[in-house]
Amino acid sequence: MAGKYPTIKAYVRPDGSVGIRNHVVIIPVDDLSNTAALGVAKLIRGTVAIPHPYGRLQFGRDLNLLFHILSGTGTNPNVYGAIVIGIEDNWANKVADGIAKTGKPVYVFGIEGNGDLRTIEMASRKAKELVQEASEVQRTEVDLTGIQFSIKCGESDTTSGLASNPALGYTVDKLVDLGNTVMFGETSELTGGEDIVAGRISDPALRNKFMRIYNEYVSIIESEGVDLLGSQPTEGNIKGGLSTIEEKALGNIQKLGTRPITCVADYLDPVPRNAGLCFVNTSSAAAEAITLFAAKGSVLHFFTTGQGNLVGHPVIPVIKISANPKTIKAMSEHIDVDVSDLLELKVSLTEAGERIFNYALRVMNGRLTAAEVLQHDEFSPIKLYISA
Amino acid sequence: MPRFAIHNREDNVGVAIEDIRAGDEAQGVYIEDRSMGPVIKALEDIPLGHKIALRDIKAGERVIKYGRVIGVATRDIKVGEHVHIHNVKSIKWGNLARR
Repeated sequence: MAGKYPTIKAYVRPDGSVGIRNHVVIIPVDDLSNTAALGVAKLIRGTVAIPHPYGRLQFGRDLNLLFHILSGTGTNPNVYGAIVIGIEDNWANKVADGIAKTGKPVYVFGIEGNGDLRTIEMASRKAKELVQEASEVQRTEVDLTGIQFSIKCGESDTTSGLASNPALGYTVDKLVDLGNTVMFGETSELTGGEDIVAGRISDPALRNKFMRIYNEYVSIIESEGVDLLGSQPTEGNIKGGLSTIEEKALGNIQKLGTRPITCVADYLDPVPRNAGLCFVNTSSAAAEAITLFAAKGSVLHFFTTGQGNLVGHPVIPVIKISANPKTIKAMSEHIDVDVSDLLELKVSLTEAGERIFNYALRVMNGRLTAAEVLQHDEFSPIKLYISA
Repeated sequence: MPRFAIHNREDNVGVAIEDIRAGDEAQGVYIEDRSMGPVIKALEDIPLGHKIALRDIKAGERVIKYGRVIGVATRDIKVGEHVHIHNVKSIKWGNLARR
């Protein structure tokens, strides 16, 4: 007899979380440590480095967000173990402590007093052990519940609002009904539909929290004295037929499906594994949003695109879904799921949504996405303000 | 075969689901139940994904899609015309027509 849940073959981590990849990640704490981290990744097959331009002289909430993202990326269920490299030990230990809490192996290396070359050697020896350990971890059959996912659209056009986003919304409803978490964000791109989002949050405290986050975000944009002219909608959006931010937002929220929003998370808030549909405060830049979703535990990201976005992530697969037949033809190597027949009304919404869901099952079981094979490993921590 | 889609019955714009050429008599379809909508003669080329006016929209009048306001007309728009940044602007942010 079939169980209540579909099953997948996945990696169960020491803390009970479920991953669908088995990475050994090399985490530089700061810009100066990128060279050593990339050096290790070059020497040791099966590791992935996540270079980034930050980590020096940050302070307050901005520094805490960087720690949250670096630790969170190492903590992600798709990661077997991590190597943390920093110019100084103190901050590197902070990042590593966050990862060690999940029971995963993590090793720290400080460059000061060693130099790049000695650091690369020491870190590479450990990384080699981790990769060999990771290679013996087996996938096991688990229920598709209590797993975290995320969604975002990019290079959107009107085909997103007409077809790919509603089809993804069907998939989102299904994942939520199975007791999973689905994160969405893009705070500024909800503009024009923010009242619809707020209306789907029944808990008054959560609804107030969402409106506070939204209003704060928009006020930061407005305080710069600009109206996002030339940024929102983007050049690609306009080429695809989107004329205003309101039109873009109304298309954007089609992917949220129909279930209530039961979780609202600001930058530093953790997101539980069975939170249902969860708003996460993010920028609308694709890599920044996915980087934060992954840091909060998303193991698989669904990305709808109209004009053709390329984004990937170093530790979580990104599934590209498009309904624009021109994009699917011109950029075929980047698109995983073609739902252009929904745009042409040749299939039902259910059929298109099931197609996305079934493709996701294959990716969860190990099939590599276009972005993974094409080495789109964008890792972009959100930076909140100037450094000291 | 339908060539443009209408999200909501209150909308005054539809979205081309394939390229429509100026002069074409294009069939519309309602997304919600896939019933056939109006046939509109395109006054201009409407590329895939771009909007076509379903009725005359006066300057200052609201442009409706998804049953919601997506902006305001910056000049008179005739039924069958292409509706985009040259004749509609956001109410929330910016005036793209200035570009």
